[in-house]
Amino acid sequence: MPYDKPIPDPSPHTKPFWDGAKEGKLMLPRCTNCNRVHWYPRLICPFCHARELEWIEGSGEGRIHTFAVQHRAMGAWANETPFVTAYIDLNEGDRMATVLRGVDPNKPETIKIGAKVKVEFEPANEDVHIPFWRVVE
Amino acid sequence: MPAAISKAAAIVGAAEANEIGYSKTPKTSLQLHIEAIKNVSEQTGIPISRIDGVFSAGWSSELAEHLGLHPKYIDTTSVGGCSFEMHVHHALCAIHAGVIDVALVSHGESGWSARANRGRGTGGMRGAGDPWSPGNQMTMAYGFSGAPSNYSHAMTRHNYRYGTTPEDFANIAVVTRQWAGLNPRAVMHSKETHPEGGPISVETVQNSRMISWPLTLLHVCLVTDHGGAVLITSPEIARSLKTKPVWIAGAGENMSHSNMIEMGDFTATSAAASAAAAYKMAGMGPEDMEMAMIYDSFTVTAGITAEMLGLAPRGEGFRLWKDGHAAPGGRLPINTNGGGLSFNHSGMYGMQLLVEAYRQLSGTAEDGGFSGLPGKQTKARSCVVNGTGGSLSTTGTLVLVSD
Repeated sequence: MPYDKPIPDPSPHTKPFWDGAKEGKLMLPRCTNCNRVHWYPRLICPFCHARELEWIEGSGEGRIHTFAVQHRAMGAWANETPFVTAYIDLNEGDRMATVLRGVDPNKPETIKIGAKVKVEFEPANEDVHIPFWRVVE
Repeated sequence: MPAAISKAAAIVGAAEANEIGYSKTPKTSLQLHIEAIKNVSEQTGIPISRIDGVFSAGWSSELAEHLGLHPKYIDTTSVGGCSFEMHVHHALCAIHAGVIDVALVSHGESGWSARANRGRGTGGMRGAGDPWSPGNQMTMAYGFSGAPSNYSHAMTRHNYRYGTTPEDFANIAVVTRQWAGLNPRAVMHSKETHPEGGPISVETVQNSRMISWPLTLLHVCLVTDHGGAVLITSPEIARSLKTKPVWIAGAGENMSHSNMIEMGDFTATSAAASAAAAYKMAGMGPEDMEMAMIYDSFTVTAGITAEMLGLAPRGEGFRLWKDGHAAPGGRLPINTNGGGLSFNHSGMYGMQLLVEAYRQLSGTAEDGGFSGLPGKQTKARSCVVNGTGGSLSTTGTLVLVSD
């Protein structure tokens, strides 16, 4: 069945991220001046305001910062309720949004803030593979 | 000591549209604006033609044109529900600087009509998200659908960090409904105003339909129609009017992020910073506040904001409601109109906060208002007003005082 949920539209600025995703790599922007990783991708470092930015391959690992269980949603996501959205603290620093995998949305009390997660990619179309995070402990 | 700008202007009137809540016939946002503007002009005796500054969330050029005004100051700050508190801040600055004499802050938003009559109403905010915005790209794939789906993450984190529970926050909805019971204009005032209206308990809140765990339906604000307008003038003009001035003693604004992906601390907002600026300008502190109007888009918004405003220690904001302090008869009345949870919430609720704060501090809360129905008057002479916009993103804080 074709992927029927919203698919991001890669821009020239974010292309390295989506190119990496197609190869199963979590590419992250890093400032070569202050060496800090930021998310989402900027045109200028949000920490030191240098414009010398590079892309590095991240570990694809992180921890749950916080989460919620969506019982209402729009479009094709409505067919998948309840599902668990979360914000992930990346091992490299800064934070990503996701839908969590490997959790039971009907038992939110079993989902732990701080739990380890790993990234995986789902092909939405030829060009866009979307990162999702799976609880691994 | 207060700053020189403190009380350099006063809110001299605050009125609403002829009909708010669930409008019987569909309204446009423009109609709600114009009704409120006409009403506040009549209330204060200030002719519309005397307005020389127009402030609104995206509407100012259209409003000025519609009214035939050529304003000297045009402000369309539109950063969510706190925009109106920011407009008051900006108007205070413009009047203090001598640029204008009479500022109009206006709101019209057919949240209900737009939903009930697809395409007939219009939203209050302008502009759409750019699909190429990197922030949008990195969040749009994950099924977030509107504010409830985001604010729930803040409740989860607050529960984790401070050992609070959804039941603790449910008390905010319960107490706010008590205030709505004293305000016949509130959508959820009683069974006469709404089939689900009237008093509720923590159990009612927790047993209502799950929206975005841990937020059930009754942790979430209403979606209604609203129009409201306030007029702000210099002290000289304010003293010459038939209405009572409510002084802008302090004002501040700030933001921590726009996209929730950038929210550093999910248990805090920039209200700590906007309130610090407002208190400093006023030469007052949280201990001087006799009531509070706090944007309650969700119970968690009000609970966290009470902490940010210094009204309660971190992690304990909900106690103001749970222990009855914020309730009718309590030491610190909060959201005396029944709040966004039970009075009216059109999408951006900052104007409703201003109208109620003016009514309370001018001693007119028991006057009829737009519909001839009175609210509940408190004895407060000072009020901290805080709007929150976006995804716990932007804040505007005012310290208002009566003579």
